[in-house]
Amino acid sequence: MNRKLINGLLILIAIAIVVIISTDFIGNKAGQNKSNPYEYNIEAFKQVDSAKVLYNEVTTFPVLADQLSGIAVSDSSVVVAAGNKLLQFNFIGEEIFRKPIIDTATCITMDGKKNVWIGMRHFVAAYDLNGTLIKRWKSFDERSVITSLAVSGDQIFVADAGNRVVYKCNRDGLIIARIGEKNEQKGVPGYVIPSPYFDLAIDNSGFLWVVNPGRQSLENYNADGSLRTSWGVAGMKIEGFSGCCNPAQMTIMDDNSFVTSEKGMPRIKLYGQHGELKGIVAPPDLFDAGSYYAPDVAVDASNKIYALDFARKQVRIFKMK
Amino acid sequence: MSSKEEPVSHSRRRLIRNGMQVTLAISLIGIAGRTVLKSASDDLVWQLDPFKCVQCGRCAKECVMSPSAVKCVHAYALCGYCDLCGGYLKPDPNARTTAAENQLCPTAAIKRKYIEDPYFEYVIDEKLCIGCGKCVAGCTSFGNGSLHLQVRHDLCRNCNECAIARVCPSEAFSRVPSHKPYLIKGDFKKG
Ligand code: SF4
Ligand code: SF4
Ligand code: SF4
Repeated sequence: MNRKLINGLLILIAIAIVVIISTDFIGNKAGQNKSNPYEYNIEAFKQVDSAKVLYNEVTTFPVLADQLSGIAVSDSSVVVAAGNKLLQFNFIGEEIFRKPIIDTATCITMDGKKNVWIGMRHFVAAYDLNGTLIKRWKSFDERSVITSLAVSGDQIFVADAGNRVVYKCNRDGLIIARIGEKNEQKGVPGYVIPSPYFDLAIDNSGFLWVVNPGRQSLENYNADGSLRTSWGVAGMKIEGFSGCCNPAQMTIMDDNSFVTSEKGMPRIKLYGQHGELKGIVAPPDLFDAGSYYAPDVAVDASNKIYALDFARKQVRIFKMK
Repeated sequence: MSSKEEPVSHSRRRLIRNGMQVTLAISLIGIAGRTVLKSASDDLVWQLDPFKCVQCGRCAKECVMSPSAVKCVHAYALCGYCDLCGGYLKPDPNARTTAAENQLCPTAAIKRKYIEDPYFEYVIDEKLCIGCGKCVAGCTSFGNGSLHLQVRHDLCRNCNECAIARVCPSEAFSRVPSHKPYLIKGDFKKG
């Protein structure tokens, strides 16, 4: 009897030990969602007033390629640069072609003649709309990291994050002027580029706008390279540009409004020509949790906004409500 | 229309970075040397892969050492020396100053030093660091990801079963050779 009692007790103790150990193990198990007292929490900044969201997402289409780097839109097609490829789509997302390009693309734009200009790390190449190479510039220099291009008539503006300068070039790649280098006499503060996000665009009046990402601002230059004006405020709140290197991407609409796209907490916003926030194109909750990269942005003739979502590998099209 | 490439260097900052890298390398080599001597019989030690780490906070809480043997380390070569540092400052700080209310680190373990306009250097005081990873999350989200966590082998007891490895949600921990005990960002490539 005594022996039976002791055996029973031992079994009970063994069961209790197993239960305690497995509860502890399951509770602590890798992958369990335990609360983190040290969490880096920016959820509050992801909430936006829905009245400020001015756009609806109307279409998406996939881009089945790796190393997406940029998007541009003409009145007849959408082009995407991805790795060593140039892809062309129609507006309902059907792929028209994908053609090899001579090096890995870092950025892309289109000119008024629908030629496609592609930035590679050290140089620029141009293709016609059938994807045939028409120009290859010589390399700038070893330190160059070309991150953005814009075309205005016969002038091509090239953002070089490696050398912290914008080159104004002719169509053959001859440098006509260097813009934005620190120059106190001209009131130019110099670009601060902590990481290679360095975008530019030309407004409707032909003026150059350049993102100064380390200062979270957009700078506007006269033809002689002097600083004309600038705007931008740093901050996680919706009016501001969050963290370093934002806005990582931007483009300019017909009425000189700015479309900006941020990394870290991806969000796309619309600012007026003097830098006042007009509203939101795509709030943070439209992007996948854990998304980091700023979608590249482009605008078509009807002012629809095209966002190249690097995480989803999609073109996402937004139309004003 | 930007690209995602390697960060940009700058001569003066490069000099500082090189200096800091040398300092970091010397300290890590020293520690590595001690570790090799300490565990001459052990071929493997625990280390975490900073590219897998999701900054869950468990490195601060689960280590058998108190404070944790996991510390924040800084890959200066990757740092942007930003004024608006996502690893140092709270999201939307009142000001970009060293005031406690603006600092993200719960133990004020990160020291901010002015270099030249508009660059600042960030140095970790390891005695204060508890390995919570909060700064790592901020730097990864809004900076270049130069702050990252590592098991420091002058502190780690090289437990048979690492208490953190058992609960790490991203399976970032593994045994690495004791003669190469660190997986420093910038020293090794992702994937
Ligand atoms: S437990 Fe794993 S995921 Fe969590 S902080 Fe440590 S290494 Fe990173
Ligand atoms: S935030 Fe956490 S991991 Fe970063 S330095 Fe402070 S204590 Fe260390
Ligand atoms: S092996 Fe032990 S001492 Fe080292 S990090 Fe893991 S739990 Fe901490």
